[in-house]
Amino acid sequence: MDREAAIVLRHVTKSYRRDQIQIPVLSDLSLSVEEGEFLALMGPSGSGKTTLLNLIAGLDRPTGGEILVQDNDLARMSDGQITKWRSNHVGFIFQTYNLIPVLRAQENVELPLLLTSLSRKERRERARTALRVVGLEGREDHFPRQLSGGQEQRVAIARAIVTDPYLLVADEPTGDLDRVSAEEILLLLEQLNHEFEKTIVMVTHDPQAAKRATRLLHLDKGKLVADVAQGRDVRTAVQPENAS
Amino acid sequence: MKFLGYILRNARRNPVRSLLTIGSIAVCGFLAMVLLSLFSTNTEVRSTLVPFNRVITMSAQGFTQPVPIALVREIPAIDDRSGIHAIVHRESDDKPLVSPFSWYGGKFRGESATFFAQFGVDPDTLFDIYPELTIAPDQLQAFKERPDGTVIGRKLAEDKKLSVGDSFELKGEIYPFDMNLTVVGIFDGPEKRDLRTCYFNWNFLNEGLKRDFQGQGANNSGTVLMRCKSDELVTKLCAAVDEDTKSSDRATKTQTEDAFVSQFSEMIKDLQTYINMVGLAVAFSLLVICGVAMAMSMRERTSEVAVLRAIGFQKGQILFMVLTEAVLIAGIGGFIGTFGTMLLFKFWDISPYTMGFFPFFYIPTTVAVTGFLVSLLVGLLSGLIPAFRASSLPVIDGLRKVV
Ligand SMILES: Nc1ncnc2c1ncn2[C@@H]1O[C@H](COP(=O)(O)OP(=O)(O)OP(=O)(O)O)[C@@H](O)[C@H]1O
Ligand SMILES: [Mg+2]
Repeated sequence: MDREAAIVLRHVTKSYRRDQIQIPVLSDLSLSVEEGEFLALMGPSGSGKTTLLNLIAGLDRPTGGEILVQDNDLARMSDGQITKWRSNHVGFIFQTYNLIPVLRAQENVELPLLLTSLSRKERRERARTALRVVGLEGREDHFPRQLSGGQEQRVAIARAIVTDPYLLVADEPTGDLDRVSAEEILLLLEQLNHEFEKTIVMVTHDPQAAKRATRLLHLDKGKLVADVAQGRDVRTAVQPENAS
Repeated sequence: MKFLGYILRNARRNPVRSLLTIGSIAVCGFLAMVLLSLFSTNTEVRSTLVPFNRVITMSAQGFTQPVPIALVREIPAIDDRSGIHAIVHRESDDKPLVSPFSWYGGKFRGESATFFAQFGVDPDTLFDIYPELTIAPDQLQAFKERPDGTVIGRKLAEDKKLSVGDSFELKGEIYPFDMNLTVVGIFDGPEKRDLRTCYFNWNFLNEGLKRDFQGQGANNSGTVLMRCKSDELVTKLCAAVDEDTKSSDRATKTQTEDAFVSQFSEMIKDLQTYINMVGLAVAFSLLVICGVAMAMSMRERTSEVAVLRAIGFQKGQILFMVLTEAVLIAGIGGFIGTFGTMLLFKFWDISPYTMGFFPFFYIPTTVAVTGFLVSLLVGLLSGLIPAFRASSLPVIDGLRKVV
């Protein structure tokens, strides 16, 4: 194995309480994601894709089992610690971009850097660099409403990578975009995966989009039903037990 | 501080709502400042009167009842007879410094109400009783000599564009007698004195009443004003005068000038409780106004807050940002309402409209600072619930609202 396991899930279960009833969403799910992988998560609506993504990104906690991300046990961290961990290691890309409407592109990208000790100048420079990476030079001063959907999503990607996290999570990042813009976003994600060696976990409904990933997971009713390696780095599905 | 830019943008996010919130706080601040300052201003006027040891005798039934003019002569007699010797006598002619002091209350040149104080006095002693008022000697002389002469304060002269030699009519509201007076002098005085008063010769009023109204209401003075040597003697004199008149049908109440003046604020003293209650109610409704505005604003931002939390903002940082925004908005409103009002009354003199009850009016710095601090507190409290709600909403719930 030339790559280390970046994310390991062991017997993870997740259920939500609604009133008195427990609604199981994920049941006994084990999975290992290696550093530098580009993982696509597919499955019918309600199968638990977003839930799984949230667990991996440290936004939510499992009901049972453990989640190790770079040897950190997410379940054992306090809310404050896990928040800090997210700010350092995870970049978020949402279906609806979720930019802050009152901030310019540049300021949106700078937002995560406010949590660092970087100087104002360094923050500026980093944000500019990130915007250059996503191809939005010259758009620094635009407000989100002055940008197209594809451009907004690229600002969101710049915001996600500006702290140089090793993990990017994307929940249907092309879901609201037309074919051409979606293609640009996917190219960008591929590039981030290739050139910058970001580990990416992406939820998608679009089989075309899923093809860009190096590995494809199918989720149904909270269970992994298929695990296919694809693309440039052909491997077989990895069981967590022998991965660690 | 890094967040300040972002906080400011948030505050300007819905400018109409923010401006309305700021506006309502400012207006409430203005009202609160005016009401609260009524009392402190009055206290200050009184304190300037204390050093002069002046005494006022009025009817025991209240200052709306006149006393006989004879008291002007009788009071110094009581003072002598009882051996107190409290009243100051003029060095040159040994005349006791006593004067009738009679509120006239007339409408100036067809104005709709009485906008400044007018008193019938003894021109001979008035400026000795009021040493803090200054007047040119020749003008004072003219005041003593000319029966229909009047001396007016500098500010009144400026307001009404009156100069020496001008005449004006006062239409009596209490007395049936209208007066035509001629300005013979203009006096000046300390900043905190009413320089909008008009003094005229008490005799002129009295002669008029005798001549035109069969003496109806004549030979009376509203009050009697005198100047004493020291405050210990003042107490004795007051007791002696009231004791002397007690059994007659013209019982008097004699007290220091500042006690006399404070009667007017005593009348509004009962109001103070209400004003304080109104103030509390205002603060409370501001709390609700700001709280609702802030809650609405945060509700619209639920998903944004979730995004902030997702990318690593801590609960405490969200709390801080929301509270700062609330305090900022309330603070801007409070600043305008308090210091703005203070500035307003620095340049806008309202004394022409107060009949001399407020010869000057201003917002004391302490009142303004207190009001400003209260507005900050209102902001902080109003932000608490929205801030806690925003910061403790689970991130995934907040994100789910997006889709
Ligand atoms: N906070 C929650 N409370 C209760 N139930 C929840 C909550 N979050 C998710 N669920 C339930 O968990 C199940 C899985 O939801 P999830 O959002 O992970 O599905 P998904 O695969 O992402 O679906 P989609 O493709 O529509 O986004 C759904 O049945 C959903 O109703
Ligand atoms: Mg989903």
